[in-house]
Amino acid sequence: MELSRRRFARLAGTAALTGHHLRGQQAPLTAQQVIDRIQKGAGINPGAIKAGDPATQVTGIATAAMATMGVLSRAAKDKANLVITMEPAFFGRLDAALADDPVYAAKQEFIQKNGIVIWRFNDYWRNRQPDPLAMGLAQTLAWTKYRVADDYTRYDLPAMPLAALAGELAKRLSARAGIRAVGDPQTTVRRIGLLPGSSALAATMKKLPDCDVVIAGETREWESVEYAQDTVASGQKKGFIMLGRVLSEEPGMNFCTDWLKTLVPEVPVRWLPAGDPYWRPA
Amino acid sequence: MTANEVVERIKKNLGIPWNDKTYRDTFKVGDPNTEVKGIATTFMATLDLIQRAHAAGMNFVITHEPTFWSDRDTVSELAHDPIYRFKMDFCSRHNLVVWRFHDHIHAHQPDLIWVGLARALGWQQTAGSRNRFTFPATTLAALAADVQRRMNIRALRVVGDPHAKVSSAAVGMGYSIPRVLPDVDVVIGGEQPETGGQFDDTEYVLDAAFFGKNKGQIILGHAISEEPGMQDCANWLRTFVTEVPIQFIRAGEPFWSPKA
Repeated sequence: MELSRRRFARLAGTAALTGHHLRGQQAPLTAQQVIDRIQKGAGINPGAIKAGDPATQVTGIATAAMATMGVLSRAAKDKANLVITMEPAFFGRLDAALADDPVYAAKQEFIQKNGIVIWRFNDYWRNRQPDPLAMGLAQTLAWTKYRVADDYTRYDLPAMPLAALAGELAKRLSARAGIRAVGDPQTTVRRIGLLPGSSALAATMKKLPDCDVVIAGETREWESVEYAQDTVASGQKKGFIMLGRVLSEEPGMNFCTDWLKTLVPEVPVRWLPAGDPYWRPA
Repeated sequence: MTANEVVERIKKNLGIPWNDKTYRDTFKVGDPNTEVKGIATTFMATLDLIQRAHAAGMNFVITHEPTFWSDRDTVSELAHDPIYRFKMDFCSRHNLVVWRFHDHIHAHQPDLIWVGLARALGWQQTAGSRNRFTFPATTLAALAADVQRRMNIRALRVVGDPHAKVSSAAVGMGYSIPRVLPDVDVVIGGEQPETGGQFDDTEYVLDAAFFGKNKGQIILGHAISEEPGMQDCANWLRTFVTEVPIQFIRAGEPFWSPKA
């Protein structure tokens, strides 16, 4: 851990020097410079690079909800060597004690061989106002015109059965089996609240009273899910839908590219979907 | 026989010392001195479950998971919540009592929740390690279909290559899915954070599949994984509570899933 921190400091220092040295020529844009620019643009503290050399010259940027191997291989093909991911890339195995793992090792090797840099971008994007995850999700669902006043988490749609809404979500988000719903499929819903990402009970309790259905990313079965079940059992004609964490965050990371393009105009910026991780037997 | 007397008898028959520090295994609703007409055991005391238990003539619900939507059943902030009031009103109008049986049913030897899950899966565990199973090589798709059928799951979720050849599994209950290991092809459990948790099996298995490794993750749902054990709980209770009827009532899988 100590070693890697020293190595990081050394590499970061090199990056700064290189940038200075080459200024005035055709200055290469390093991963560290891009990250510095994002941090300055967002007004946030530096976050750690999760993999790769910060001095890497950036040829393109890819955003993703989760930097899976599927995402990284697409990024490598597209020459997008700076991958900005909302969720972790190494499944809890960055801890040195767990690093002796064939999948972890193969992923690190792929990253190294392809000169990829992975940077995690979560806290700021998740907490930014107005909520970029909700804005992105609404955009992908083509619901922007249904927005309630300036609340990016509220949309009033033409009335439809809960089952039709869930089906529409599955279609527009290219879901496989990740979407799960609570409530009578035939209940008519119109007022929709969005809670993309992972959310606590308090968020559902705040949102559900003013909505017919809350569309969350991920909540716990004994918290928001039970609250939604009880709301329905109390006689209210409501529903609750969970998209899954990644599926709910992907549109927000697609939307993120619009913001990044204004900060980093020199290189192409694209979004790479990780896709719905889940399927079920027919 | 009062609800409290039922709980005291559970403590006496548990076979292990009672942990008085538990915040989980306590009364959540009603007066412990209420005369018990019947006991319903269940995975979770949802409002729907409580209504059905009452309709079946049971006024004492023994639930594995919370009643008021948090692990500690914290109600201090709920006084004005209409759903809380509705649920409490229903319980007090019908003189219902709810008690949670979580930590100690897991601590019981054997863990009755585990016994129920293993029975529902219908698998023979590998000698020596409780949560490990081996079976003749099959595909992940066939294994998942078998689990789906045996446990009657609507919203099962599976990660990995459906054609992956698998022959071993590690199984967890509730909010835990074991870590994928070199000698574990498939991990199975109730519920887990999709990412940012302890193991992140979902991403691990996606990446393992990318590298052509035969790995899989099968997510049953929390209720699906722990509900069978509350049937074993009812059977166990009947061995020392003979005065009142005892019935296992399914809270049921909360989810359905849209056609993709």
